Amino acid sequence: MRSLIRYVTRKSRGGTAVRDEVAEGEKITVGRGNDCAIHLPDPRVMLHHAEFTLRSGELYVAAATGADLRVDESLTQVAKVDVGGKVRVGPYEIQPQEKTAEFDVILAVELIQALGDDLEKLVARSKIHITRMGLTMRQWTWLLASAVLLGTFIVPFVFNLLIGPPPDKLALTPGKQNYLAAPTGVWNSGTISAAHKFFGDSCGSCHEKPFVQVKDQACLSCHNGIQNHAQPALFPFADLSGASCQSCHKEHQGNATIVLSNERFCADCHNDMAAKTTRSTLGSASDFGEHHPEFHPTVVKDPALHAMDRSRAVGATPGPQENSGLKFPHDKHLRATGVKDPARGVVTLQCADCHTPNETGETMQAISFERNCHGCHALKFDTFVTDRELTHGKPEEVFKQVRDVYDALAMRGGYTEPEAPAVLRRMPGTSLTPVEKQQVTDWAATKTAAVLNGRFGRGLCEECHRTFDTNGTDASGSKIWTVEPPTVTTLWMPKAYFTHARHTDVPCTECHAAKTSNASTDVLMPSITVCQSCHGGEKAADRVPSTCVDCHRFHRKDLGPMRSEKAADAGAALRQIHASAQSRAEQP
Amino acid sequence: MHESILVYRNHRYLKWALVLAAVSVGIYLIDRPLGAPNGGTWLGYTLGCIAGGLMIWLAWFGIRKRRYGVGKVSLEDWLSAHIYLGTALALIATLHSGFQVGLNIHSILYVLMMVTIISGMVGLYFYVRYPLLLTENRKGLSTEVMLGQIAELDRDVRQIAMTMDDATNAAALKSTQDTIVGGTVFQQLRGFDEHCPTTMARHFVESSTSGDHGPQRRQLLTRLIRKEDLLKRIRRDVQLRCLLRVWLYVHVPFSVATLAALVTHVVTVFYYW
Repeated sequence: MRSLIRYVTRKSRGGTAVRDEVAEGEKITVGRGNDCAIHLPDPRVMLHHAEFTLRSGELYVAAATGADLRVDESLTQVAKVDVGGKVRVGPYEIQPQEKTAEFDVILAVELIQALGDDLEKLVARSKIHITRMGLTMRQWTWLLASAVLLGTFIVPFVFNLLIGPPPDKLALTPGKQNYLAAPTGVWNSGTISAAHKFFGDSCGSCHEKPFVQVKDQACLSCHNGIQNHAQPALFPFADLSGASCQSCHKEHQGNATIVLSNERFCADCHNDMAAKTTRSTLGSASDFGEHHPEFHPTVVKDPALHAMDRSRAVGATPGPQENSGLKFPHDKHLRATGVKDPARGVVTLQCADCHTPNETGETMQAISFERNCHGCHALKFDTFVTDRELTHGKPEEVFKQVRDVYDALAMRGGYTEPEAPAVLRRMPGTSLTPVEKQQVTDWAATKTAAVLNGRFGRGLCEECHRTFDTNGTDASGSKIWTVEPPTVTTLWMPKAYFTHARHTDVPCTECHAAKTSNASTDVLMPSITVCQSCHGGEKAADRVPSTCVDCHRFHRKDLGPMRSEKAADAGAALRQIHASAQSRAEQP
Repeated sequence: MHESILVYRNHRYLKWALVLAAVSVGIYLIDRPLGAPNGGTWLGYTLGCIAGGLMIWLAWFGIRKRRYGVGKVSLEDWLSAHIYLGTALALIATLHSGFQVGLNIHSILYVLMMVTIISGMVGLYFYVRYPLLLTENRKGLSTEVMLGQIAELDRDVRQIAMTMDDATNAAALKSTQDTIVGGTVFQQLRGFDEHCPTTMARHFVESSTSGDHGPQRRQLLTRLIRKEDLLKRIRRDVQLRCLLRVWLYVHVPFSVATLAALVTHVVTVFYYW
C-alpha cells in the first residue's frame, strides 16, 4: 500500500501550506513516536495512537489500547472511514481524500487545536491577585454600612414615626404599641432605673421633644411637690434653681435607683459650713467615717412648753440632758439580780420587756403606764382598800376619786384599819346616828387629805413624776396638787433616718448604755463612734461603706416644693399608670 | 534611605498620640463625675467629640491616599499619623464610654470601631514584616518573570516527555496544563497545593522503574524539580501579597460601617437627649 500523507498548516493571513510525505507499508501508523508513518509531535497524542489499514478497498482506522480516537465525532475503537470523514487523534484531524492512480490512500493531517502559549495559559488559570472575597471590597463596604444604617437607624426611625408621638403622656397601652416601640430599644444607652421601668419603653414620656434635653416638667408630672433642700430665703445658694432634675438624677445608668449617693455631692457645700453660711448651726461633714460632727440629739428642754434643745453633743461636758418630767432609772430596772414582780416573783427585765418596735421597725412604740409599768407599779393607795387604785394620767380626778372611796366606806362601815375610829370599824350595814354621821364624814375628809398628800398619794406619783401645788383647794379646803405632764423625746435625730429594723442582730446595750444609766435625764443616744465602729464613709474598705443619703434625705419633707412651676395633674398620670397596669394584667 | 512609617519624623505622631492619650487618661482619672462615668458628662462629651472627629479624619485617609501630590502634608505624614492616632482612638473611645457596655447602637459602634482598629494593626504588622520577606523570597525576580520561567520549563518538559512512554508523558502534560498558582483567596493564603500536578509528575518520574530513556528522564526530572522550586516561591509570593491586601477587606468595610454607626450614635443620643 502506498500512501500520501499531506500535512496541512493554515496560515494566519489565510491560505494553507501543505507538506506531503509518502509512506509505504501495510499499515499507516499514527502517533507521537518517530517511527510512526503519521508523526504527530504533540504531547496530547500517544506514542502509538492509532493505525489505518485497507481492507478490500475500504479504509479502516483502529485505536491503540487506551487511546482516545473519534471518527466523525464519535468515540470508537475500530471504524470504517469514508472519503471526507473526520478522524480526531488528539488535537489533530485526519481526513481521507479521493485516491489517485499513484496512491491508494491520501490522508490530510491538520493540527486544529494548537497547544497555545504556555505563559498565557498559566496566567489565565492562575489567580494571583485578590479582586473579591465573595464580593468586592466596595460591595462589602456598601453591604455592611447599609446593614448598620438600616438596622440601627432607618428601621427604628420608621417604626418610631409609625407609632408617632404617644397618644397619651405615658403610652402604656399593652400589646401592639410596646411591640412597635421595640426597634428603638437599640438606641437605649443603658438600663432604665428600677422605678421608671414600667414606662421605660415609652421614650416620649420623658423625652418630650426631639433634640431637647429632658425638662423638669417631665419629672414633675409625677414628682409634683418634691421638696426643697434648704429654706430658699435663708440659703439662696442651696435652692438649686439653676439646675435641672436630671443634672443630679441620671437615668439609663443601670437597674438601680437614680438617687445620687456620692458623698462629694453633699460635701461640696457641707464640707465647710462656716465658710458657706453664717446662718446655719450645722457642723461640717464630708465623710461619715472621717469627717462628721458628733451627734447632737434633740431633747426636751421644758416639757410644759414643749421646748426642745439640740445644742449639746453626745459625750460632751455637759452632755445633752433630757428634761422629760419623768423619773426613771434604767439601771435599777435592769439589775442583773432582777426586780420583784408581784405576779411573777423576781424577774430579770430585758429591754424588750418595755420597748417594742413600731410597725415599720424604725422607732419604738411610746411607753405606756398601763402596758409597761402597771404590772409592778400598781397605784393602790390604801392597804385596807385592795380593790381600788388611783386613776393614772388624770390627776385632777384623783381627789374626787379618793374622797368618794372614803365617803362610801364611812357610810358603809367595816373599814378594818386599827387606827380608824371605832364607828368606821362597825359591822357594815349598821345604821348611824346623826352625830356618828357627822363623825364619819369628817373622818373621810381628813383621811382623803392624808392619803393624797402622803406616801401613797402624792408620794406614789412622785416616784416617777414631778408634782406641784395648784391654786385650788378641795372640798375640805386642802390644797390641790397636780402632776407635771411628762414629754419624752420621740426622735433624737429628726434630720437623719435610722431604723432599728436593720440592726436587730445587735444587742440593744451595744449602742445604748442603759444598764449604767441611773437618771432619766441621761440621753441614751450612742456616740457617733459607736456607729463608726461598723459604718465608714463612702470609700471605707474595712467597714460598711455608708454615704450621706444612707441617713439623710436631700429633699426635706418639712420644706416646701423645690420647683414652683405647676406640673400637669400628677394624679392623672398615676391613675393612668395604674389603669394601664391593670389592663395589662387582664390581657389573656 | 527608607524610613519606616513607625519611626517617621522621629516618632512625631507617636508623641502626638501619646500626649493625647496621656491627657485623656489623666483627666479621666482626675474627673469625678456625679454617678458613674459615662458619655453624658462634660468629659464624656469632650472625649466623644475628639473620638468622633478622629474617626472622620481617619476615614478621610482613604480619600487622601488616592490623591497624589495634593496638599502640603505628605502621604507619609498622613499614614504615620493615621496609625498612631487610630491607636489612640481605641483608648479615647473607651474612656468616652466610661467602660459601659450594652446591647445597643452605642456598643455596636464601639465594636465596629475596635474591629477596624485591630484589623488596621494587623495590616500594619503585615506591612512592617512582609515586604522584606517578599523581596527575600523573590530573589530579584518579579512575579511575571517567575511565571515566564515556569512557562519555559513547561515547553521543555513537554518536549522531553514527548519521546517518552505515554504514562510519563501524561504526567508531564498534566503538570504543564493543570498546575495553577494562587486561585481562590483561601488557596492564595494557603501558599501551597498538596495536589500540585508538578509535584505528582516529579514523584512519578522519580519512582518510575523503567530503564528506558535514561538521559531524558534525568533532564525531565531536573526541570520538574526546578519548576517545583519556582512554584513554591511564587506561591509564597502570592500568599504574602494576598496577606498584604486581605486585611483591607475587613478594615475598609468596617471603617465605613463605623462611620454609619457614628451617625446613628450621634443623632439618636441627641434625638432622645
